[in-house]
Amino acid sequence: MIDIREATKNFGDFKAVDKVSFSVKAGEAFAILGPNGAGKSTLIRCILGTLDFEGEIRLNNLDIKENRKEAKALIGYVPQEPQFYDMTTIEVLNFFGSIRRVNKERIERVLHLVGLKEHVFKSTSALSGGMRQRLSFGIALLSDSPVLILDEPTSNLDAYARADLLRLIKKFKTEGKTVLFSSHRLDEVEFLADRALVMKSGKIILESTPHKLGEVLGLKSKLHIKLPQSSIKTALDVLNENGFNNISLNGNKLSIELSHKERILALRKLLLAEIPVEDFNVEEPSMESIMEEVQQNGL
Amino acid sequence: MDFRNVYILIRKEARDSVKNWWFVLYTICFSALALLLLFLASSRSEIAGFSGFGRTAASLINLVLLFIPLIALVTGAISISNERENGTLSYLLSHPITKSEIFTGKFIGLLLSIWFSISLGFGLAGIAISIRGGGGDISKFLMTAVLSAILAASLLSVGFLISVFSKKAAKATGIAVFLWLVFIVIGDLGIMGSTVAMDLGIKQVFILALFNPTEVFKIASVLTLSPRFEVLGPVGIYAFKTFGREGLFYLLLSVMALWILIPLGYAFLSFSVLRREEL
Repeated sequence: MIDIREATKNFGDFKAVDKVSFSVKAGEAFAILGPNGAGKSTLIRCILGTLDFEGEIRLNNLDIKENRKEAKALIGYVPQEPQFYDMTTIEVLNFFGSIRRVNKERIERVLHLVGLKEHVFKSTSALSGGMRQRLSFGIALLSDSPVLILDEPTSNLDAYARADLLRLIKKFKTEGKTVLFSSHRLDEVEFLADRALVMKSGKIILESTPHKLGEVLGLKSKLHIKLPQSSIKTALDVLNENGFNNISLNGNKLSIELSHKERILALRKLLLAEIPVEDFNVEEPSMESIMEEVQQNGL
Repeated sequence: MDFRNVYILIRKEARDSVKNWWFVLYTICFSALALLLLFLASSRSEIAGFSGFGRTAASLINLVLLFIPLIALVTGAISISNERENGTLSYLLSHPITKSEIFTGKFIGLLLSIWFSISLGFGLAGIAISIRGGGGDISKFLMTAVLSAILAASLLSVGFLISVFSKKAAKATGIAVFLWLVFIVIGDLGIMGSTVAMDLGIKQVFILALFNPTEVFKIASVLTLSPRFEVLGPVGIYAFKTFGREGLFYLLLSVMALWILIPLGYAFLSFSVLRREEL
């Protein structure tokens, strides 16, 4: 569905995207991972045809340079920070709906899909971050385009809005849309993507399935568990017995360094031993640590 | 070019103008001042040989010269730069619409909005004259309105040219206001100063005047309204004698058309074809 061959984008002497090549199959969810400045957004803008570039990008076999408009009709795009005109929700949908040549029924349907029916007469400037992202997602769905391109769609959302949007994206992926998205969160990539690539300084440095990504990189997550003071000793014993050794203690909080797939295992062992866990959270490895790992191991 | 997309943009720009309180304020001021000038002008029986519609049109020339260049230049200057700065242009371009469709739709939409303001000012003045008994030649009044519309188109084109090459709306507005000052305030002084300093002949002064669209409008309007070409001064007399009344009028119209086509064409090509990097 998406074929990228040697895509290169220079801003003066700066190479923002450097000979990037990959393909995304129809119905596949493909993630582009990378820290800020890696070239993810620039690459997406090349695919959207809003930036000139060297190399070749094809969407459904249409060359984006020669068939810019036809190719763009195949894409629904969700930007990182959607910027709307000073209009109400329904006016924005009508405006983009008219460009996409969709009828009122479709707009109604999209409003229902993204759950904005109660906010149709609200000005876009009065919408919360989550609602703005939903509206942007709704616009992307207007013409039922086969390809969804999302540029860090959850980066400005709170936890609830983020989970909500991820579920929505997953739903459309399951229904057969091709999804290409950029992110700097490994958990999002694991949840949504079939395949992922890691970019740094405009170049692809790794391509893999998301689950193997963690494995390949040997990434460590941190599981933070809050326990009653009286259960700390028992919990430490249980964890040591099961081979979890990288444990630090801070008051009644335990922090355990774990490999990517062991995260839930440690928690399960504690629950099986009937240790009352008061609270927990998982600290995912940062993008910086991924990059550090990549540089050190030279993948 | 898909004209359905152009039409969508025209509709959006017209709607935005109605919602823009600066634009509404400008339209109200222009219309109110046009009516005020009408009543002030009608309190005297004759001004420089004009009466009724002609007299009102003559009064409106200075109002047009003050208001229309400012609104057209500023509106044009922020049209694209503002969208580029706040990211809406980039988002719009991710949809199946081309830059040339956006440019054309925005230009026509904004031009129609400015023309609506001009029509309202001239229209209200025209209705008031008719109610008070009319008098004079209505065709001269209408021709002044048409020349005002052409002036608006030319300065909107210049505004679009500024907009295409400005990344920030504030910078574009600054350039537009500076150009307005050059055309309206410094323009006359510049011609006078150049004439004295460089010892220019009448022909050179006339050519110099053609480089200022507001001067061209002024000469064309006076030529339309006045039966006496002496009103135009020595340069006017030279131009009148060289080209004749009709020839001079068409020359001025052609120059105004060039003031529309050259900046607009350059802005269109730069935005739609040549520059893609700035988004």
